[in-house]
Amino acid sequence: MKRILSEAAFALIGIVIALFVLFPIFWLFLASFKSGDELARLPATFWPAEPSLAAYTDLFARGSQSNQLLDWPTLIGNSLLVSVASTVIVVFFGTIAGYAFSRLKFPGRDLILGGLLVSRMFQGAALLLPTFRLMNWLDLSDSLFGLILLYSAFGLPFATWIIASGLREIPVELEESAMMDGASRLQSMVIIVLPLATPSLITAAMWHFVGAWSEFAFASILIESTANKTVTIGLASFVDYFSLEFQRVGAAATLVALPILAIFIFGQRYFTRGLLQGAVKG
Amino acid sequence: MRRLSDRWLAYAMVLPVVAAVLAFVVGPTYDVFSLSFTRFVMGQERGFGTLVNFRALFADPLFTLVLVNTAIWILGGTLFCVLLGLGVGAYLARDGRMPTALRAIILLPWILPDVVTAMAWKWMLHGQVGIIGQTIQAAGLSDQPISLLGDPDLVMWVLVAVVVWRKMPLVALILCAAIRSVPQEHFEAARLDGANGWEQFRYIVLPHIAFSLTAVSVISMIWITAEFTLPWVMTGGGPANASQILSTYIYQQSFQFFNWGVGSAMSVINLVMLLGIVSLYLYVVRRSWRSGASA
Repeated sequence: MKRILSEAAFALIGIVIALFVLFPIFWLFLASFKSGDELARLPATFWPAEPSLAAYTDLFARGSQSNQLLDWPTLIGNSLLVSVASTVIVVFFGTIAGYAFSRLKFPGRDLILGGLLVSRMFQGAALLLPTFRLMNWLDLSDSLFGLILLYSAFGLPFATWIIASGLREIPVELEESAMMDGASRLQSMVIIVLPLATPSLITAAMWHFVGAWSEFAFASILIESTANKTVTIGLASFVDYFSLEFQRVGAAATLVALPILAIFIFGQRYFTRGLLQGAVKG
Repeated sequence: MRRLSDRWLAYAMVLPVVAAVLAFVVGPTYDVFSLSFTRFVMGQERGFGTLVNFRALFADPLFTLVLVNTAIWILGGTLFCVLLGLGVGAYLARDGRMPTALRAIILLPWILPDVVTAMAWKWMLHGQVGIIGQTIQAAGLSDQPISLLGDPDLVMWVLVAVVVWRKMPLVALILCAAIRSVPQEHFEAARLDGANGWEQFRYIVLPHIAFSLTAVSVISMIWITAEFTLPWVMTGGGPANASQILSTYIYQQSFQFFNWGVGSAMSVINLVMLLGIVSLYLYVVRRSWRSGASA
């Protein structure tokens, strides 16, 4: 009897944790399928009475209320461009630097690597104002290219660190024997090391993509014109127009969350790889 | 000869990363420090080497409220993040189908964009038809629809709850990993000695995870100190500045009021706070840093 009780309590705690974690997300997701009338009705219904995709099609339908405010295809295109381009840049330069940090000896190596990681902890609200000035000075504010440059710079230290730790796990002997057989350093790096290091490259790419896609603060101070807005700026401003029509906000939020969810579900193996070490280091 | 060329090769390879950090972190940090000591008249820089911005900031009656709110935000957020994370982490560390399934989904709040999180909670906390307000009303605790985000006395604590929801999962997962690394023999020995669940936790688990616990506490504090998007998108510092914290006030002063003097002075205060916490972190992990191991 006591055993059954304690097992029931154990399961109950699990259910409470699961509800706590999932309910807020699920509740907004459900709202996106309801009608504005249903959302305004009291008491709230759990499942949509008449499930509808109208809130989603409205985001894309020309002339609809949602689409008039913000052109979601443009926002998504901009966010994709910025995230993908900066991911490519970060992985490329991160691999080159990661190789040096994990394979070559040079004075100040550990100090520089440590400094890179620490620098990551300072990227917050305190740097908004000077970054705004810097980007204006470079004439790169209100430009997607400027965002790509900024996100790449912010993401590089962590990507370098993930890739360097991935490379460290690959035995140096493999390369040494390749070089003994006459391969140059570049050949041995590209042919021998890179294929083995792919998991850490994927990890770095995923982390960076998620960060770039989700970034709001710096985009919101730099981007002014409607044509250059990203999804996060769009979503944050969207809510101001629809006080009671949260199905529209819910649909937009689901759209913004979708790529991140896809990475979370399909890339979990890679994602958690660098997580426990990586996140603790900053 | 080979070694020397290796050295220059290495410097060339790390140059892009180092240059990026110098240009976009170190440079701006220097710039904001120098701005904070610059006098501004009508948005124009007029003379360096003045404390006028800091004086203006400390004379601002709102700034005291901002500091109090920031303390609630950072200390409250970190404390509840770690306490709840420890509890959830201890659950996740158990064997069984439920903890295993939870380990797979627990990171969801942590990985979703801040703005999406803000929308989900804005919807639940909606003043007229939000589910939380409705539940409170249905439970008889209030006779009218209640707007928790509109209540100046509660809004800071509501924000703390949301940031805990968002940041706790990773704390739980890290502590779960630490708890699972406790050697099983220790538990068996303790059980033979007749230790109950709490005593096992107190005398075996806690000492074993002390390092991870300290590191993760400081890390949470860094996350929460640097966090801007979540409070800004949820309340914008309102109602009537009741939830204004350092990061949101920096944004408002710098980009809505164009008060760069005060904005930069607050940025410097925020950086000094971060510097303190980061130093604490480096001190905590000083031994694992060299060996390349982590918490």
